Amino acid sequence: MKKSLVYLLIATSFLGVGCSEDFLNPVRDTRVLTGEEVAAAAELNPGIVQGGLDGLYNFVIEPGGVVGTGRHYDLGQKGVDIWLDMLSSDMALSSNSYGWYQNVANLISPVDFTRQENTIIWTYYYKVISTSNEIINQLGGNDAVPASTETRHIYAQAKALRAYAYFYLAQIFQRTNDLSQPILPYYVGDENDNLAKVPASQIYALIESDLLQSIDLLSDYTRPTKDKIDPWVAKGLLAYTYAAQGNYAQAKVTSEDIINNSGYTLTTRGQLAFPGAGSGFNDVNTPSWMWGFDLTEELGHQLVDWWGQIDYFTYSYAWAGDRKSIDTGLLAAIPTGDIRRTQFGTSGTTNRMPINKFFDPARVAGQQYIITTDLIFMRFDEFYLLSAEASAKTGDEATAKNRLKDLMTIRFAGGAAAADAYVDPLSGQALKDAIYLNTRIEMWGEGKSYLAMKRNEATVTRGTNHVFRSGQSFAFDSDEMSFQIPQSEILNNPAITGQN
Amino acid sequence: MRSKFKWIFTLLLALSMQFSFAQEKTVTGVVSDKTGPLPGANVVVKGTKNSTQTDFDGKFTIKAKAGDVLEASFTGYSKKSVTVGAANSYNVVLSEGVELQEVVVVGYGTTTKEAYTGTATKIKVENIEAKTVSNVSQALRGEVAGVNVITGSGAPGADATIRIRGFGSINGNRSPLYVVDGAPYSSDISAINPEDIANITVLKDAAATSIYGSRGANGVILITTKQGKAGKSVVSVDVRTSVNSFRLPNYEVLTSPEEYIGLAWSELRQNAFLSGNPNPNAYASTNLFDSSNAIGLDPAYNMWDVPGDQVIDPATGQVASGVSRRYTPTSWKDTAFGTGLRSEANVQFSGGNDKTKYATSFGYLDDKGAAINSSYKRYTTRLNLESNVNDWFKIGGSISYSGGRYLQTDGADQATSVNLFSYTVGAPPIYDPYLRDASGNLVADPYFGGYQFDFGNGDNGNPVRRFLNNSNGIAEATLNKEQTDATTFLGNFNTDIKITDALHFETRYSGQYEMNEGLSVSNPFYGQNAGSDGALFLDNIKSTNQNFLQLLRFNKTFANKHRVEAFVAHESTEFRQDRLATGATGAVIPMAETLYQYTTLFGTPTHYKLGWTLESYFAQLNYNYQQKYFLTASARRDGSSRFINDKWGTFGSVGLGWVVSKESFLEKASFIDYLKLKASYGVIGDQGTAFQYGFRIYNITPLTGGILYAPNATRPNPNLTWETSKIAQVGFESSWFDRLNLDVDYYVKNTTNLFFDNALPPSSGYTNIQFNSGKLQNSGLEFDINYQVLKGDKPEAFKLAVGVNGEMLKSKMVDMPNDYITGEEKIFQFDPNTGLAALVKGHSLYEFYMREWVGVDPATGLGLYNLYYNDVNDDGVFNNGDVAISNYTDYLAKNPDANVEKTLTNNSSIATQKFTGKSAIPKVRGAFRINASYRNFDLTTQFGYSFGGYAYDNGYAQLMQTGDQIGSNNYHVDIRNRWQQPGDITNVPRMSAGLTTEDTYSSAQSTRFLIKSDYIAFNNARLGYTLAKSYTDRLGLSKLNVYISGDNLALFSARKGFNPQTFTSTSGIGGYIPMTTFSFGARVEF
Repeated sequence: MKKSLVYLLIATSFLGVGCSEDFLNPVRDTRVLTGEEVAAAAELNPGIVQGGLDGLYNFVIEPGGVVGTGRHYDLGQKGVDIWLDMLSSDMALSSNSYGWYQNVANLISPVDFTRQENTIIWTYYYKVISTSNEIINQLGGNDAVPASTETRHIYAQAKALRAYAYFYLAQIFQRTNDLSQPILPYYVGDENDNLAKVPASQIYALIESDLLQSIDLLSDYTRPTKDKIDPWVAKGLLAYTYAAQGNYAQAKVTSEDIINNSGYTLTTRGQLAFPGAGSGFNDVNTPSWMWGFDLTEELGHQLVDWWGQIDYFTYSYAWAGDRKSIDTGLLAAIPTGDIRRTQFGTSGTTNRMPINKFFDPARVAGQQYIITTDLIFMRFDEFYLLSAEASAKTGDEATAKNRLKDLMTIRFAGGAAAADAYVDPLSGQALKDAIYLNTRIEMWGEGKSYLAMKRNEATVTRGTNHVFRSGQSFAFDSDEMSFQIPQSEILNNPAITGQN
Repeated sequence: MRSKFKWIFTLLLALSMQFSFAQEKTVTGVVSDKTGPLPGANVVVKGTKNSTQTDFDGKFTIKAKAGDVLEASFTGYSKKSVTVGAANSYNVVLSEGVELQEVVVVGYGTTTKEAYTGTATKIKVENIEAKTVSNVSQALRGEVAGVNVITGSGAPGADATIRIRGFGSINGNRSPLYVVDGAPYSSDISAINPEDIANITVLKDAAATSIYGSRGANGVILITTKQGKAGKSVVSVDVRTSVNSFRLPNYEVLTSPEEYIGLAWSELRQNAFLSGNPNPNAYASTNLFDSSNAIGLDPAYNMWDVPGDQVIDPATGQVASGVSRRYTPTSWKDTAFGTGLRSEANVQFSGGNDKTKYATSFGYLDDKGAAINSSYKRYTTRLNLESNVNDWFKIGGSISYSGGRYLQTDGADQATSVNLFSYTVGAPPIYDPYLRDASGNLVADPYFGGYQFDFGNGDNGNPVRRFLNNSNGIAEATLNKEQTDATTFLGNFNTDIKITDALHFETRYSGQYEMNEGLSVSNPFYGQNAGSDGALFLDNIKSTNQNFLQLLRFNKTFANKHRVEAFVAHESTEFRQDRLATGATGAVIPMAETLYQYTTLFGTPTHYKLGWTLESYFAQLNYNYQQKYFLTASARRDGSSRFINDKWGTFGSVGLGWVVSKESFLEKASFIDYLKLKASYGVIGDQGTAFQYGFRIYNITPLTGGILYAPNATRPNPNLTWETSKIAQVGFESSWFDRLNLDVDYYVKNTTNLFFDNALPPSSGYTNIQFNSGKLQNSGLEFDINYQVLKGDKPEAFKLAVGVNGEMLKSKMVDMPNDYITGEEKIFQFDPNTGLAALVKGHSLYEFYMREWVGVDPATGLGLYNLYYNDVNDDGVFNNGDVAISNYTDYLAKNPDANVEKTLTNNSSIATQKFTGKSAIPKVRGAFRINASYRNFDLTTQFGYSFGGYAYDNGYAQLMQTGDQIGSNNYHVDIRNRWQQPGDITNVPRMSAGLTTEDTYSSAQSTRFLIKSDYIAFNNARLGYTLAKSYTDRLGLSKLNVYISGDNLALFSARKGFNPQTFTSTSGIGGYIPMTTFSFGARVEF
């Protein structure tokens, strides 16, 4: 009896004990996929490959995508847009309480490579590049063109996203416009990868070829949502790329192509400022929006979002005291009668804040909690300005003036007559200056004025409403006007020893 | 002839046996100690299996014959023998003096202190009971040399962080393993009622911990709960009432609104003066209360009875005479802090007979914090049972339940805008936590009663506060609810089957279930969810941890000299967690706590599962020769689910012990009572803390309507495997002159194959890769000294004992890991555990690496920093062509021929980051005790100390931030020493309301805020009185003890408010500071 009970107990105690290999392969973490799971699922579900690309698009707007949601300025592209708008000084940090933007507004981060802003920007774009490279390699590599339509479109978008990321890196980390200067490590996901800096010209060549191929491969592509890159977005990026290299002729051709053939329409007068119909710059379905992201309840964006920094009507820092306002100098330069003057508050707490340009439609201070107002990356109007700029710089002042008039007609209370009166007297440098000024006014808060400053080799002067360094001037190629290759790169990349 | 003799001898022997047998008689007696009879003591006839236990009155009855030796023993007492003679009754008095035979719970078994070759420190239960703590981890403070207890949060019920023998890993796990009643414990530490604990043993060296294989690398804390004693039924009742308050010093900040506004005015004047404004006084006065630009304060915060521009008298820079307050702002501190009442009651019932023992308990605790509305409440119950079913089968089990509720303690260790601790030090004294109307009156709150809080958000014409706008931590704590309910079930079942006398088979199943229900409710009227009509967030975490053990134990003594104890075992552990979180807005009923009572789902619900498993095979051999020479050898093979290709690791150790004092050559040395030398060496692994290592990971963004995933920034390394620690130790345990105990250990712990997060250049698309490389060394000397100054032979005599323990720890990066890209040893990496220190070959962990503060420039009032540069043109001046060195170590490693020169700069961003030679690891750290007793009184005290370390006083840095706008934060009183005019010699920079970037640079992170982390802390004192036996007898009680005690009584550190017991390397403000607790309690046994 004793013996049998002993054996029984010993036997039972081993039951339920995993001695198999399965025991050491439990459910580990269902929040993630492993490489193996993706590969296995891809055979059964083609949507998985698309999921990788969609995940990359989501990364472009992901809160805390680089260093985590604890850092409330880590917002993807739109977060970079805020920093660029502050560098260009058009966006003033006019009150500082929580301090998220003090080191950029104070122009410390652009000269101190230990600051996290540098790391976030650098890491963000290179992550876009590496993820693009991964998708490109999944589909056959840089020189292969996938056979199926679906995968060809994925491939083309990955290349366009890679181009987009290199474009911004080149703008943000090079002080001058010198094409021969080595500026960035070069990663295309194959044996051509180079940890050392390569010249700007090589970066631009890659951007151009990626975009041109993408435009070609996407010719039969109809995108499901506006966050995806279609041929027109790719052409928009291409136009900027040409312009950044000083190739204004091509920039003009590409801009005009977009203007004439894309089918988008200009932002209406109503849409430009509250209380106009469709105003708020918060709806991706606005016909002038070429590229933007539809923020939904499901995405659950809250405070850590572009709107959480800029919009007074969102539960945001702008509302809580870290106010972002238009620079007093720029505000003063908006022509009288221009509807864009009314985009900004005129008194009290919201003075000069963009409460009539960007706003949650409910317009209750601090109310929007889950953000469903959308994010803008590119709109049709930009290419009128870019075409005008390119035309003026290539000597085609007539086209330049016409494009400027197209915009000003909508913006001036006096319509076409007022636009003519404003534009007609301009020529030469005055015309170029007017186009640059209107680019700054028009694109306020959209991250584009920095690009224009770089192209125009401008010197910016801060107005009086900046908490930091008001009244000071900075040339486009001064140390303060570009970000630094972060310390984390310099310490860990043996092939880079210094800044650009 | 020879054979004949043999026969006769045998016959004689047979006869004599016959004779003896006939003489066996029944012997009775009483076993007692100095206080009275001892129930449950063992009495054995030496050399036989004949044994018994004493009954409730300490009496025993046993059959023995004359000449036999009776040996009486009882846990915690030294054995005593009497030889049976003609008498039939023998009384034995046991004494407690020598604890060498004390049973020590160690890995998978018990041993005695004498026999143990490793370092196992048993913590005295009375030392734990003397402390008023709600969480066992807090009770460990100061008890064991080499155990560092960091009280990150002082909130009721909060866990302390425990580091045993330094910092054994960089990216892996640094936390010890808790084992409760033999089973690895991974639930809420607070769920263990400290009153249920019979003893705690801390295992530190490899010989002690290697039997836990991959889980023992950072030490093991073994907790055994109370069990009943045979023949003695005891009911004990403990009650304790305490008062919690904040009494340790806090940072000295400005408290006078007048002083603060004068300072703000002087900042503006300084600003104007430096900008060349012709009339700085006018500028300052005009702008002081003028929010129309980015300069001044909202006029609504002008608490004085004159317009803003007349508050300050420009002649004095102070509030003008004749100006008086319209109102006095309420103190944030007084509003947020008070006293919290802590009540605790425990009832325990235990007993048993020679077959079955049991213990059961009920505990109640309500620990209200000194910060408003914070509390921890707990109910616990436990039943322990064990039975010798028959002579070959033992069975035991325990079951316990704990229901705990944490209120307003979430994130109590973090500085956030909703944590009231961010306000009590940081809020400028001109602001009131409550809203004031235009005439300065408090505004009635129509919803909650009382007065409305000031959120400083500018809504409805309310003022805009420049400090943490739109938020009010006190309001959050008052009007909203942060609650976590932690429910823990533990079940243990074990059996012990005697197969033969020497061979036992043991099994144990342990199941732990923990449910954490997090609840956060925001009110619909004020604060962050006012716009969304209130909000509810739910976060439910279910965890199970199952552990199964089979163990075959062999136990035999050969030839009375060779004692062998050995076992082989198999153990499997499975951990599973399931987490579901969701939220909603739009309260149907304000402050409702279920989703049904809300209108709108908030964001996306999340639900996921986590898990890991561990399977182990292990064996141990314990051998001793004549109780003098001891050997322990262990081996363990662990398989972990956390790795991919290389799941299995093999670990082991050898330990040797030699009780020198038992050698004949020392027997005459009467001054040595006991001396044991010991040495051990072992290899232990660490499997880190992540659920999976080495995989290519893609993070899913769920529930968006499509598949979305994005790659993780960690480069996969499928071959990643165990980190290995090799620990060598030598030491001794000794007792001298019958009054001095001295234990010393010296160890060297080399952690190799570091589980290293090698930083990659971000341009690669990855931030890091984890691989096994590099070598970290921790070495330390640990000592534990106890000296009985006055022994006093009689119980009522005055007795005095002092004890001191400590560790002298050194840490060094012996080899840096190889760089993934170059394949060569990495030169430099910032320490991932604190960005303020760097990892460099030959340097200590936690050695601060930062810019060097030189002082304040007497000419400009700006901060000065050292800038080292490569003087390329060799002209001794930093100019064109020279290279500013930003990272000193990295630059010199890459440019060994650099011509380094030094200059000064105001621009901290180009100043050189450099090793400071100052480490957060102190030279010596530990605790000391002074205990005394006289008649029925007993006093215990404990003090903590630390010397020779440094810390970055980030809390102070925040309070000395001089580059900000006026009104944006409060200041340490040291700000009074600021630079004010050229020629001022001071270490505090000028204040000019953020005039230039250099003003911001003046407060940048640098050696300016490094400070010595030396401290002496008066951690605990307890004075008890035990009622004399004659009185307790009359009351029908067996024991009555009353006491008063205090915890966190005093702290002496380099700066008030800077408490090095609460962090490893960096201080802060905004976390729940440790509370001082005064208690009165009583313990009754009957």
